[in-house]
Amino acid sequence: MKFNSWYLSSFLISFFVLIPIITVFTSFFESTSNYYEILKNTFLIEYIFNSVALLISVLICTFLLGTGTAYLVSFYQFPGSNFFKWALILSFAVPPYIYAYSLTAFFENYGTAFTILKSLFGDANYNKSIPKFDGMFGAIISISFSLFAYVYILVRASFLYQSQNLIDLGKNLGFSKFKSFYKIILPAARPAIVAGLSLVAMETLAEFGAVDFFSINTLTTGIYNSWITFDDLAFANRISFFLLLFIFSLFILENLSRRKAKYHFNSRGGFKQKEKLELSGNKSVLAFVGCFFVFFMSFLFPLSQMLYWTIKFPENLFDLQVIDLLLNTLYLVFLSSLVLIMFSLLSNYGNRVSNNKTLNILSTLSISGYAIPGVILAIAFITFIAWFDENIIKSLGFLSIKKIFIGSILGLVLVYFVRFYSLAFNGIKSGYEKINISVDESAYLLGFSKRKTFMNIHVPFLRNSLLFIVILISLEIVRELPITLILRPFNFETFATTAYISASEDLLEAAAVPSLFLILIASFFIMVTSRYILRESND
Amino acid sequence: MTKNFFEVKNVDFNVSGKTKVKNVSFSIKNEGDVICLLGPSGIGKTTILRTIAGLEKINNGSIELNNKMLSSKTINVEPENRNISLAFQDNSLFPHYTVEKNILLGAERNKGKKDKKISLKEIVDLLDIFHILNKYPHQISAGEAQRASLARSLITQPDLLLLDEPLSNVDQSFKEEIQVRLKKILNKLKITTIIVTHDSYEAFYLGSKCGIIINQELKQFDDPYKVYHFPNSVEVVNFLNRGILIPAKVTGKNTLESWDLGTIEGNFIKEYPKGSNVQLLLQPEDLEHDDKSNLKLEVVDRKFRGTNFIYTLKTPSNTLIPVFVHSHHIHQHEVEEKFGIKRPIHIDHIVCF
Repeated sequence: MKFNSWYLSSFLISFFVLIPIITVFTSFFESTSNYYEILKNTFLIEYIFNSVALLISVLICTFLLGTGTAYLVSFYQFPGSNFFKWALILSFAVPPYIYAYSLTAFFENYGTAFTILKSLFGDANYNKSIPKFDGMFGAIISISFSLFAYVYILVRASFLYQSQNLIDLGKNLGFSKFKSFYKIILPAARPAIVAGLSLVAMETLAEFGAVDFFSINTLTTGIYNSWITFDDLAFANRISFFLLLFIFSLFILENLSRRKAKYHFNSRGGFKQKEKLELSGNKSVLAFVGCFFVFFMSFLFPLSQMLYWTIKFPENLFDLQVIDLLLNTLYLVFLSSLVLIMFSLLSNYGNRVSNNKTLNILSTLSISGYAIPGVILAIAFITFIAWFDENIIKSLGFLSIKKIFIGSILGLVLVYFVRFYSLAFNGIKSGYEKINISVDESAYLLGFSKRKTFMNIHVPFLRNSLLFIVILISLEIVRELPITLILRPFNFETFATTAYISASEDLLEAAAVPSLFLILIASFFIMVTSRYILRESND
Repeated sequence: MTKNFFEVKNVDFNVSGKTKVKNVSFSIKNEGDVICLLGPSGIGKTTILRTIAGLEKINNGSIELNNKMLSSKTINVEPENRNISLAFQDNSLFPHYTVEKNILLGAERNKGKKDKKISLKEIVDLLDIFHILNKYPHQISAGEAQRASLARSLITQPDLLLLDEPLSNVDQSFKEEIQVRLKKILNKLKITTIIVTHDSYEAFYLGSKCGIIINQELKQFDDPYKVYHFPNSVEVVNFLNRGILIPAKVTGKNTLESWDLGTIEGNFIKEYPKGSNVQLLLQPEDLEHDDKSNLKLEVVDRKFRGTNFIYTLKTPSNTLIPVFVHSHHIHQHEVEEKFGIKRPIHIDHIVCF
């Protein structure tokens, strides 16, 4: 084995990303405060029960929403079907916590629904007849409408690659449309469904903003509270450990099914383009209404609620330092993207040229960062820095480094790096998979050094992938809440943190303006990348 | 003794820790010579080329080019420093550059060279790829990509050119023409070349020497004529698949007796004691058709090959033997008909095992 500089840099990057995970696992054995005993006897069971109940409910909802809409737009032609094909992914622009604000704002006593009814039918006490979407139910709705697009995107891609031969086979066997759907189409898309649901599951378990807003005690909020309220990092890490175990099993499941899905997409032999069935009459109206309902609920509803409040309370717009928030957000986006792209490229190339098993395993482990809730990552980072500062830096007689990393842009970018490393690493890796290894070898044989091959052959080839990854990272960072909330410097706000702070102070109207900006910026990023997200770039 | 231009000595060729071909030794005497390596798929021919190019390492033996040690247990010159060009079998063009840019990247290596023996235009004309110059690799066919890759390798004017199944994706109708052009260009540029192929006709045409790799060994390395007519082992005979082995007994200095065909005369390429039982190699062109002959065998199959027919005949002991007949022969024989073999049977060079 040759330990060249490429190997070393790739190894160090992967190892750095693994530090928070290692920290959580090692902290498991540290002693905790009395809070642990109190919690163990009181709320821990509730935390687990709520997490599991939330998870199962969200999985059922996102499966129905994602698979149903994907089926309609993939197999049928109806008014607006081409529009809904990409419009449905706009729901990504609305993070669950902003959805939660909209839901509450609309259905609360004297909320938007009340105002609408009053303006339509005059004064009356409508509050009793307006349903209330709060607590667990509100959280399920908010998370489901915000995350169903994971299932939609993957299942639609799977449907897209299903050959007409498969459908014809069903007809040939005398299956009805419904029987063809559940006997042939759905099983063939199973890996994509599992992959989509696994992503939803990980996001749901990691969800902080919406569950916190609805005051539901889950493992994630438990971690946050044990750190914020009781200042017990060790216990926060102990809950994190359990949550991580749970998430890792999902992560493995997702990886396994994705491997199968990949096989499925690549088997293009005998592929026959699917013919979309044109719907007419009632069926076409039903399909339109179904898709419009999901689109409306997942995107138009929160958007219009936030827009309505922004117009209704324009003073909030003027009070908000929009330019500052925008610059702060863009600053984070720029720095993080730059760091992520640079190091992910380096790490990928190091892996490619070293072709070393240890490095491959390390990289595979390091990309698990995306499965770890932001809250855990932020707290693990603080734990590690505190330990490092206490045991290494101070024992060497240097000044404390805590301030450099905690409550600083540097710390924030580093944790973003760990959180979104898998996004950048996998994105570049899939770009690299399209470059046959013999291309590198041809370059060497033409006299190119490894560095020249990287700069002159790989980077230009990966240009489009890199742009796509930058936009995806930007989208994630604009929406990100818990890491920013915990690690941001004093007086440094983003649209997400401003919205959260206003909402947590019960100033939902004030949360509307940053939420609206957040939705608009995220929508812009989604629209720019929709072609790639929908996997139509290679069609 | 003059030193060979290129020499492989006692090398085990490995890939991912597994030995593909053992203890290989061969050499190329003069600069500009072309040799071919033949063998079944997956036998390790490509591994040999990759190792020579420096993409795989060796643990024993040595590889030398033009008096310079390239590979040994302790030495390994990096691929970029060898000036060896390898045209891969699969498409290894840079996907984000046009064909022209791909070829010009190859030319970059020769920027400083004064003695440029061939221009881009000449190579493009020779390989007939003008029409694809502005296209990207994904826009051209596999055969065109192979020719473009070949052009890129040729324009580098390497010290040693390695071609891995260079024409495997080229259309059959165009293949022979490209073979002629390739031979011409290699002669003109005097580029020492090793070609790997599984097509024996391609190897016999392009190479001044041919190596046959079977069962992890280089079985024979010789002139194409000798490889074909004087194969040194049963494995080589079976690989070339151009004849069968029938039992016979040596009856004299120039004769042997076959139970099915009777007396056979000719020149033994190796001496055998009188009375030895041997396996005689019978190639399709060894027997001649004669309608008047009293040695008649039953036709069990007839293959039309354009210029000739190959009849498969069944002997009394149920051995199937191939016989070559010119396609202009006055009449054809159907399956189950009797087919006369000219007697006495004379084989110019008798190969036995």
